[in-house]
Amino acid sequence: MENIRNFCIVAHIDHGKSTLADRMLELTGVLHTTENAQVLDSMDLERERGITIKAKSVRMPYKSSDGKDYILNLIDTPGHVDFNYEVSRSLKACEGAVLLVDASQGVEAQTIANAYLAIDAGLEIIPVINKIDLPNAMVDECRQQLQDSLGINGKTALLVSAKDGTGVKDLLEAIVTLVPPPQGDVSEPLKCLIFDSFYDSYRGVIPHIRVFSGSLKHGDKIMIKSTGQVHEVDEVGYFSPQLTVAESIRAGDVGYVGAIIKKVGSIHVGDTIISPDFPDTLPIPGFRRSQPMVFCGIYPISTNDYVKLTAALEKFQLNDSSIVYEKESSAALGWGYRLGFMGMLHMEITLERLKREYGQDLIATMPSVIYKVYTTDGQATLIDNPSKFPDPARIDHIEEPIVNLRVIVPNEFVGPIMELSDAKRARLVAMEHPDKKRALLTYKFPLAEMITGYYDKLKSVSRGYASMDYDFAGYQGGDFVKVDILVKSNQVDALSFISVRESAQTKARGLIHKLRKLIPRQMFEIPLQAAIGAKVIAREDIVALRKDVLAKCYGGDITRKRKLLEKQAEGKKKMKMVGAVEVPQEAFLLLLKMEE
Amino acid sequence: MPGLYVHIPFCVKKCLYCDFYSLPGAQDKIPIYIQAVLQEAPKYAGMKFETLYLGGGTPSLLGSQNLPTLVNGLKQIFDFSVLTEATIEVNPESATPDFLSVALECGFNRISIGVQSLSDAELKSVGRIHSTTHAIAATAAAKAAGFANISADLIIGLPGQSWRTLKKSLTGVIAAGVRHVSAYCLSLENETPLADAPPPNLPGDEKQASLYEKARDLLQANDFLHYEISNFALPGFESIHNLNYWRGGEYLGLGPAASSHLEGIRFKNKTDLDAYLAFPTRQNIEVEQLDIKHKAEEEAILRLRLLREGLDISFLSQKYGIRFTSEIAQKLRAMKDDGGIVGEGNVYRLHPDYVLTSNRVFTALITGM
Repeated sequence: MENIRNFCIVAHIDHGKSTLADRMLELTGVLHTTENAQVLDSMDLERERGITIKAKSVRMPYKSSDGKDYILNLIDTPGHVDFNYEVSRSLKACEGAVLLVDASQGVEAQTIANAYLAIDAGLEIIPVINKIDLPNAMVDECRQQLQDSLGINGKTALLVSAKDGTGVKDLLEAIVTLVPPPQGDVSEPLKCLIFDSFYDSYRGVIPHIRVFSGSLKHGDKIMIKSTGQVHEVDEVGYFSPQLTVAESIRAGDVGYVGAIIKKVGSIHVGDTIISPDFPDTLPIPGFRRSQPMVFCGIYPISTNDYVKLTAALEKFQLNDSSIVYEKESSAALGWGYRLGFMGMLHMEITLERLKREYGQDLIATMPSVIYKVYTTDGQATLIDNPSKFPDPARIDHIEEPIVNLRVIVPNEFVGPIMELSDAKRARLVAMEHPDKKRALLTYKFPLAEMITGYYDKLKSVSRGYASMDYDFAGYQGGDFVKVDILVKSNQVDALSFISVRESAQTKARGLIHKLRKLIPRQMFEIPLQAAIGAKVIAREDIVALRKDVLAKCYGGDITRKRKLLEKQAEGKKKMKMVGAVEVPQEAFLLLLKMEE
Repeated sequence: MPGLYVHIPFCVKKCLYCDFYSLPGAQDKIPIYIQAVLQEAPKYAGMKFETLYLGGGTPSLLGSQNLPTLVNGLKQIFDFSVLTEATIEVNPESATPDFLSVALECGFNRISIGVQSLSDAELKSVGRIHSTTHAIAATAAAKAAGFANISADLIIGLPGQSWRTLKKSLTGVIAAGVRHVSAYCLSLENETPLADAPPPNLPGDEKQASLYEKARDLLQANDFLHYEISNFALPGFESIHNLNYWRGGEYLGLGPAASSHLEGIRFKNKTDLDAYLAFPTRQNIEVEQLDIKHKAEEEAILRLRLLREGLDISFLSQKYGIRFTSEIAQKLRAMKDDGGIVGEGNVYRLHPDYVLTSNRVFTALITGM
């Protein structure tokens, strides 16, 4: 155990975490040449967006300069703001953290958030300034920022270029000397932390674990602490980075355990694996079922594709168990599913992957948060779908989820950011200056306002310089109304939205106006209305289509004309029928962009 | 029986809305062009045609010398023994009495005059080079030359057009004795000057639709039959050549950019005069051979353009086989129920109120490739 080092790399997005991991793998001989392989980011989308969604880990043998052999376990952490809890669980599996800062960007919001998570987890922090090869590297500023914003001695920061390999060897040495070896007793009863899992079609759910005490081998019985389920161990091993079978894994180790766990929902990050012989073993503190924060409905364009969608979702959940879904039906859109996500980015990525990997053409409805609706009979109900809101007369009051939001932004953009955030009903709690050039704004922010395009706008008003991070803060009351949208007198439940009363009409007018432009003229007039209860608060009409004809059609251009019609027919296939009205898919995405 | 189309890709000046293949100011190439056409034609030597149509461009630019050369040449190559209709398109300014009588001598029995409007302001607004006076004079000259079958092209939706001016154009051409009117809604075609810079007084769809409906009513009140979406004729004066297109018939097109439909295959010549002049027999491109089902769909949407004749589904089924037409029949019945079309036994027609929104019907009938 003395020669094991369990560590992670924490960083702001794009600060070079995956590249650094690649270099470490090369240096330790786990991989020969990676050629930008970014082994830890295996999903296309992750690489495209520069984000690691799924945590992974890898075991590297390392001979240090003092001639001793070490085992370095690099535990990867999900790199984006929606997975705060998952990050904390990954950190829990480590004794040390490499805190990576991009020399050209400096300390960003996620640097701070992740650094605090690492400090809270009691990890040894190794500050590293990366990308020192860049011409605009500002090493001294970064050192100062580490000191000022995190209280970390910036002078001790190692200088690295993960790209060309400079300083990576020194970093490995530092990990060996600075990160304490894991503690724990092999002779004690089994206790393992689950920090991730994946699904294998033959072996079922394979938890990634850190063993804190005891040991595990083929044939052992294990118990999932939170559920009491017992399984027989089929295989244990390490990640190198592919699964490598081992005879046993012991206290201090990081590895996996296969136990033919077929039910996807039965393994949760943060849970503890113990021995059924010692069922009273205390769990590792901090476990909670991760709760989805953002919900949206998804519907196939063609109702015939529902079965396909169901199959796609089932398969999808195997790879990302943080997604929850259940059947729902919409009067306007037919049968679909309501999906729950950890956050907005998680939602965007998941929807994109569904479309991409499973070839599903989907309508995704307006995302919603979970509202706590207190009815006059004193009941409180959690509602994640505006169309499920009870009759206004029965509602006593409503509470919405609030997050703590931290934004780091260069001083010159503080004004625009504050303006943007004010418009989103955010309450500024604190403004600090981690360094001379930048401000750290802390807000109490309604989650509902954050998921309707706040992040994109934040990036655009700050010309890409702002960074943010958030965590859940609790519920808070407000004056909310549900706005319904009627297309030719048919209520389109999928377009209903919740708004604070004072801005409901403005939003409704904007939406109706956009709908009018988006829904093509049809054979009849189409009134579009927005209403709170029975009260109409906005209305526009789409006049009947008067002319849609190929007036000229001679011998010469019949092929061309037929192709024009074919193209038009193709467009119609993508329409969803709402009553007699053909509504394009884009209409259902409008709410997302309502305030633009 | 097939029709023969010969494209004359020359004009004095491009009209602002025109996207046909036509080159302004290249008239000096007309003589060699005619020789080129007479070189392409023998590829199809011996074909027998019921109709001949000289379109453009501006066929009247051929003048009294070149027109007989072309027609006499074609007569040597093709069988015109049963030719019943021979149309030549003329522009008012070049439809001189001399040219018209030469045309008649050549065997043309139908004149299609590009009147477009009887408002000088409207003509000017789209870059036409003739005036109202030219248009009236050309019609009179055609009559005087001995043509009984005269057609006028009119455009609906010209910049600044109102019902008052359109009505004047319609009554003007009717009074001048035309037996056929093609009334086309102006469309903004890509890469035309009109589409690039549409004038502010260009009537919108709503206005166009109302002008169209009023024009239709006026023409019908004057005994013109609304036999195709954009075409009106006194009884017996329908364009036989064009009817053949709309019945899915076969035709040969000669000249650059001309399309053909022979033995079920559609193809066209390259849109390039110089290439054509160099190798008149090697210009075929865009060959399209649809399978039976798509061919039946194509004919269905073409025949539905014939507002009076309509589409006889039993005829279509006999021609293509019921297994390829049953889906069409089923869709037609469904659209009959929702009012887009009317049906009478086996014959389906566009509903008169929805002629201008007929793409809905057409797009429903065709299926993707």
